Amino acid sequence: RRRRMKSTAPRSTLRKIIKKHKPQLRLAANADLLVRKEKGGGEARLRLPRAVHLNFLLFLHRLAEEARTKAFENKSKIIKPEHTISAAKVL
Amino acid sequence: PLHQLQPKTVPKRLGTSQRKPREPQVPRSLIKEIFRHFAKMPMTRDAFKIVEKCSERYFKQLSDDLEAYTHHAGRKTVEKADLEVLMRRQGLVTDKMPLNVLIERYLPLEYRKLLIPVAVSGNKVIPCK
Repeated sequence: RRRRMKSTAPRSTLRKIIKKHKPQLRLAANADLLVRKEKGGGEARLRLPRAVHLNFLLFLHRLAEEARTKAFENKSKIIKPEHTISAAKVL
Repeated sequence: PLHQLQPKTVPKRLGTSQRKPREPQVPRSLIKEIFRHFAKMPMTRDAFKIVEKCSERYFKQLSDDLEAYTHHAGRKTVEKADLEVLMRRQGLVTDKMPLNVLIERYLPLEYRKLLIPVAVSGNKVIPCK
């Protein structure tokens, strides 16, 4: 039985990373701060770190798929550095 | 010759433990776990190092792109639309594959609840629109 992959996002880390690259860039506020329990609360927005995380997941997914393909092409049973490098070049 | 036993000198620790401010990065274990999950086959250590490097580069690129889109829209805050445009350009979001489908497919339930308004019983929509 396979263990389920943990896919919760390290949100503050993601924020920090983007902050490191772009100190002046701001990420949209969290919906939970805007949304009131009253009727007609604030507009619910996409929580950015999660969306960034989703994007990151998909990036890794593609990279993994590519590396897998390369490994298969070389009749290799394990993913070697050269496979990941050539996969990265494709993306 | 009988030489005296010297007490061992213990290196003195300087007052407070000094934690270096580390470069913010996604925990390695997490990257590894995700990549393994998608790759479904064993990989060498060095191969994983490359994946890490790629991740760093990816975030740099991502920051640049997000800035470009946000700036283009005349905002200083990154919003949902910016990411959607980005993912469209990456070919992840298409007409056949809307963002919500990706969210449903890849994110855990608690995040899906936050990102996609769900109609629940009692005539309520979460999150409130």
